Amino acid sequence: MANTVIGSSIVVDGEISGEELLTILGTVKGKIAMAGGVVVEAGATVEADVEGQTVTVSGKLTGNVTARERLELRPESKMVGNAKAPRIVVADGATFKGNVDMDV
Amino acid sequence: MASEDTCFIGSKTTVRGQVSGKQDLVVEGRIEGHIGLESHLTVEECATVEAEIEASIATLRGEVRGPVTALRSVTIEASARVAGKIKAPSITIEDGARFSGEIEMDVELPAGVVPGNA
Repeated sequence: MANTVIGSSIVVDGEISGEELLTILGTVKGKIAMAGGVVVEAGATVEADVEGQTVTVSGKLTGNVTARERLELRPESKMVGNAKAPRIVVADGATFKGNVDMDV
Repeated sequence: MASEDTCFIGSKTTVRGQVSGKQDLVVEGRIEGHIGLESHLTVEECATVEAEIEASIATLRGEVRGPVTALRSVTIEASARVAGKIKAPSITIEDGARFSGEIEMDVELPAGVVPGNA
């Protein structure tokens, strides 16, 4: 039952850290550092540097992303920033601007 | 599981900074900074909140440090440990709760009584 949900009308300005799954439906500005996964749902806005095991984006993300395992940009997602992950999936329809570093 | 309509800070998550919104917020983890809600805040038993809190209704079951201002009511339940100033039209402190600080309710004082001279 360990997980965190930032609701659609919630704004967090600051830093979120932890060891569970973070699901964002609202707005987060600042910094996100999770040992678990980070999910940016459709409709969510994230203006933050994001660090997580897996990072899945369906909404809007501005900032640098480091995923230790996998970064997935779903259709309809918008991301501006640098992406660093050993596995990166960019779906058809996703918008992305930035550098990709797969550590090859 | 938290429903889609609430915001939930899990027990292994820390938020530093400002949390604001119109949605109900349930905290099982840790928040440091400022909470400004137009809705119901619940601080669960395992949670720690060190923040300036503004909400419509606040239900406190865990550890809370900081001023709490509620538009409607504050309930300090038996498991809670609270320090700070509480301001609300209606405040409940349950038997067993630990609280240290100041309480302010908007009370109409009888004529002739000067506030602060109680």
